[in-house]
Amino acid sequence: MGGFLLRKAGAALIVVFLSSIVVFIGVRALPGDPAIALGAENRDPAVMAAIRHSYGLDKPLPVQYVKWISKALRGDLGLDSRQLPVGHTIVTRLPITLELAFLAVLVGTAIGVLAGVIAAVRRGKLSDHSATATALVGLSVPHFWLGLMMIIVFAVDLHWLPASGYVSFRAHPLGNLEHLLMPALVLGTGLSAVLMRQTRSAMLNSLSADYVRTARAKGLSERMVIGKHALRNSLITVTTVIGLQLGALISGAVITEQIFVIPGFGRLTLDAVNERDYTLLQGVVLVAATGYVVVNLLVDVAYSLLNPRIRVSGATNQ
Amino acid sequence: MGFVDATSTLINPRARRRRLLRKRFLRRPLAIVGLVVALTFITCAIFAPVIAPYSASATDFNALLAHSSRHHLLGTDELGRDVLSRILWGARASIEAGVFSTLLAMAVAVPIGIIAGYYRGWIDAVIARLTDVLLAFPFLIVAVGLAAILGPSLTNATIALGIGAVPALIRVARGEALALREEDYVRAAVANGASDLRILIRHVLPNMLSTLIVQATVAIPAAIIGEAVLSFLGLGVQPPTPSWGVMLADAQSYLSQAPRLAVYPGIAIFLCSLSFNLLGDGLRDIFDPRTTR
Amino acid sequence: MKVSLRRIALLALVAACVAALAAAVAAARTTRSSADIKNGGTLTIGLAEEPDALDPTLARTFVGRIVFLAMCEKLYDLDSHLNIVPQLATALPQVSKDKLTYTIKVRNGVKFNDGTAFNAAAVKTTLERDLTLKGSVRASEISPISSVDAPNATTVVLHLKTPYSPLTAQLADRAGMVLSPKALAAGGTFAQNPVCVGPFMYKDRVAGDHITLVKSPYYYDKAKVHLASIVYRIMTDPSSRTQALRAGDIQVEDRIQSTDVPTLQKDSSVAVKKAITIGYQGLTINIGNKNGLLKPYSNVGTDIAKSQYIRTAFDAALDRTTINRVVFGGLNQPDCYPIAPVSPWYKPTTKGLACDLHANVNLAKQLVKASGIANPSVSLMLGGTDPVNARLGQVIQSMENAVGIKVSVTPTQFTTALNRADAGTFDAFAVGWSGRVDPDGNIYGFVATPGTLNDSGFTNSKLDYILNGARKSLSTKSRTTLYRAAMQIIHRQRPLIYLYHPVNYYGVTKKVDGVQIYGDGLIRVNTAGYTK
Repeated sequence: MGGFLLRKAGAALIVVFLSSIVVFIGVRALPGDPAIALGAENRDPAVMAAIRHSYGLDKPLPVQYVKWISKALRGDLGLDSRQLPVGHTIVTRLPITLELAFLAVLVGTAIGVLAGVIAAVRRGKLSDHSATATALVGLSVPHFWLGLMMIIVFAVDLHWLPASGYVSFRAHPLGNLEHLLMPALVLGTGLSAVLMRQTRSAMLNSLSADYVRTARAKGLSERMVIGKHALRNSLITVTTVIGLQLGALISGAVITEQIFVIPGFGRLTLDAVNERDYTLLQGVVLVAATGYVVVNLLVDVAYSLLNPRIRVSGATNQ
Repeated sequence: MGFVDATSTLINPRARRRRLLRKRFLRRPLAIVGLVVALTFITCAIFAPVIAPYSASATDFNALLAHSSRHHLLGTDELGRDVLSRILWGARASIEAGVFSTLLAMAVAVPIGIIAGYYRGWIDAVIARLTDVLLAFPFLIVAVGLAAILGPSLTNATIALGIGAVPALIRVARGEALALREEDYVRAAVANGASDLRILIRHVLPNMLSTLIVQATVAIPAAIIGEAVLSFLGLGVQPPTPSWGVMLADAQSYLSQAPRLAVYPGIAIFLCSLSFNLLGDGLRDIFDPRTTR
Repeated sequence: MKVSLRRIALLALVAACVAALAAAVAAARTTRSSADIKNGGTLTIGLAEEPDALDPTLARTFVGRIVFLAMCEKLYDLDSHLNIVPQLATALPQVSKDKLTYTIKVRNGVKFNDGTAFNAAAVKTTLERDLTLKGSVRASEISPISSVDAPNATTVVLHLKTPYSPLTAQLADRAGMVLSPKALAAGGTFAQNPVCVGPFMYKDRVAGDHITLVKSPYYYDKAKVHLASIVYRIMTDPSSRTQALRAGDIQVEDRIQSTDVPTLQKDSSVAVKKAITIGYQGLTINIGNKNGLLKPYSNVGTDIAKSQYIRTAFDAALDRTTINRVVFGGLNQPDCYPIAPVSPWYKPTTKGLACDLHANVNLAKQLVKASGIANPSVSLMLGGTDPVNARLGQVIQSMENAVGIKVSVTPTQFTTALNRADAGTFDAFAVGWSGRVDPDGNIYGFVATPGTLNDSGFTNSKLDYILNGARKSLSTKSRTTLYRAAMQIIHRQRPLIYLYHPVNYYGVTKKVDGVQIYGDGLIRVNTAGYTK
């Protein structure tokens, strides 16, 4: 187990390092003078030159990279175009997206796994068909459109939920959930559709498997058979699917935060690119890439814990 | 001579299999519906210039936000343009983005994945790391970056969507190659001294085809929705060229005055991606060896 | 029936009482006293863009000025008619005969929001920072100032190198904001903890999300301040902003998009306020910007650059009224000039100049023919990829198509567009300007040869002479004559084709009173509050 973990961590480190170079070069590849982005209405050449110098943009690229990465390792990600510390912005906005993602996964898993189990157990019956159909719809509907429709109906017309924004859990626990309910639903729909189908197929597989037949023959109650094996299988499936859907979840979070005006990390990334806020963008994408690698690592570890065969043989789900 | 016999027995089972697949397909009404609807959208996309009653940018400043009428079956939008025509023209962007991005992703991912799965070893590890780096950047950020560097356009959106689909496809192709290299006929070919390239092209690739086709029918609807997202955010198709995502973005400002402007493109996206999903489900079913019908 | 005198007298008395009562009620209604507003509460304002650094020396955004209004008072301010009135100063500046010395008296007994004393020395420190700090954006705005003196605690003396009539107007904007010397001396980044004189003081900020201000206990007029705090929420999507106002998440909405104005006007819980701005929106035509901003100008050779016929035809093909109706629901103010009708300078400087708000398609077609260019084409760059810009681009494309000019539309992200405009890689650019009180602010930078915003690459020595003269002159009469001559040159040569002046609409919930918006488009909430 230790060797496995070490190997995985080493690989993750390489990925983070490579990502940082890609981020750095990618940001520099954006067209236009970043000094103009910081200039808004005033484009006096003297001011532009001063901006370029204060941001170190007049030095050669490798020097800029080393300066940036050495500061980043110490936790200093610099000041953005508003003269606010990038690190502080990230630390404030990242937990919001994490909360949104967590709720979306919760919603998606609850609905998806439950529907999948029911559909598998009642295979061929009405509940199976309706669950499968709903999952298909959930996969095909554009989620941002769903979000827009929900805002119109539930927030503007019925006033049941707020149209946008965010309040922290510590300040207003109920308000926090009210603000995140629709976004979590929108974000979790896609995940629940995929999970429902995967769970159903995995359950069907295991329900016809030999060891289940043996359990039934031994006289174990149907509930125990389904419960124990369903649980085991669904955990493996859920972990696998979440691992594969992480990228989609992050992209989905960006547009969900955009529509619901949630001050999260996804929208921060989008805004940073649109505003050509180089310092902010570099810090944000670096943290995002690192975070993604770390989560992937955790998912791999979790998967290997649930599926001992992987650990033993050393083969991975990759 | 034994080799020639082996090949002829290989060919016949293929033809037999194709007939079996066709029979299975015809037993699945949902899959047929999916195929028909998908083909309809593709036809609309290709023949839009001929089918559409108006051009996509023909404005009429005296008929803004008109309701459906004899002249405009779905009404007009905020600049007096015919909504039906724009939906038909918009199919082009969606189908183009959906299909081409998937083909692009396949073209890149399949060879890489096969090499990783077949050869294993250090090349597998390197490819795995590079795939991870690619995965670390959410496709939306890549799309925004590409739009920023190269300028927003359908082409760049298609490229971004393709890049987004590559990592998953590499994994699928790798997994398939990994499994197929253990198959008897592959081992036989190796033993017979066939070159690597020959083996990959003649034995590995054709047997992955069914999985790849299924993956494509899964990737296409995701790309269709992805194009809508990118155009909605202003990163894809640029107005006045229509796209369902652009129509949704335009409709947002008029939601209180004319909500139907948001409903029509939303339904179009939904039906188009649903049809590909149904088709994909059907194909996955008929390719599955465990299926009995 | 016999009408007795008594009855008539009684009726007259009753009528008089009723009239008096009605008058009293009417009077009471119009003079809503401050007593009707309760103290406390948080006002949430949905801003359309995000302010940049909260440091007046470095700040560049229009929307940053909205936040500064509540937390950073200036030497001068504007009243509702856009006249300059004293704020931290006590009177308009006394200008010496040679126009090179300005003496400004400032208030006594005022405190900064960190408790330290406000005085002339603080003004001196701030102005010197504005002039000398590296990267200061204010330096070019007050560059004629050579030195500042503070002979006593309430007197500031400015020494100028050359006469500069826009100076007082500049001191009514960010250059006139005074910063706490203690906060400046503490080192660190001022923008992370800005301290000025103001009814509200800075509390916290999360980039891209919100800025929070709280009521200041140090403010000299704090009795008039009702709110406990103000939260400025950054909400760049106009549809979300309106939804938030309707759902009650915010109480004030900055710049309602034109398609939402009719809906909100019908909403009985919301009051829609209108502010006719002093800015403009139009098309900048690249005539001579071949090598980049402020580099030597030479004609770029495009159809629209080399032929004045095509430029005039382009203008004649545009129906400004229809553009306003189709793109903006008729809510903006179509016009042909850079100075807005709401400015006192408008009437005198545009007297006698022709401006046709409708298209003259026949004239345009004739001009295209006369130009001798077959199939003229223009590439129009839009400063944004949002739907409003898209609508504008397409309407212009349609209108030009009708006269034979082929227009291709390129929606471009705003900053990239500014970049291209400065580099000269465009034919026509749809862009605007938020507007300045002094006409110099709306004209000089764009069409004068050394203008720092002259993306058109326009150079006309007669115009330069006129504009420089207008800068030096302090007489309104002579400046009016000069600007009228300038307008004639601009109108004829068309380095810019002006289309309209934005009329901004703001939404305020009826639960709140005291929110004011003047022609500068800035939301003023200093004495606002929730009604009882």
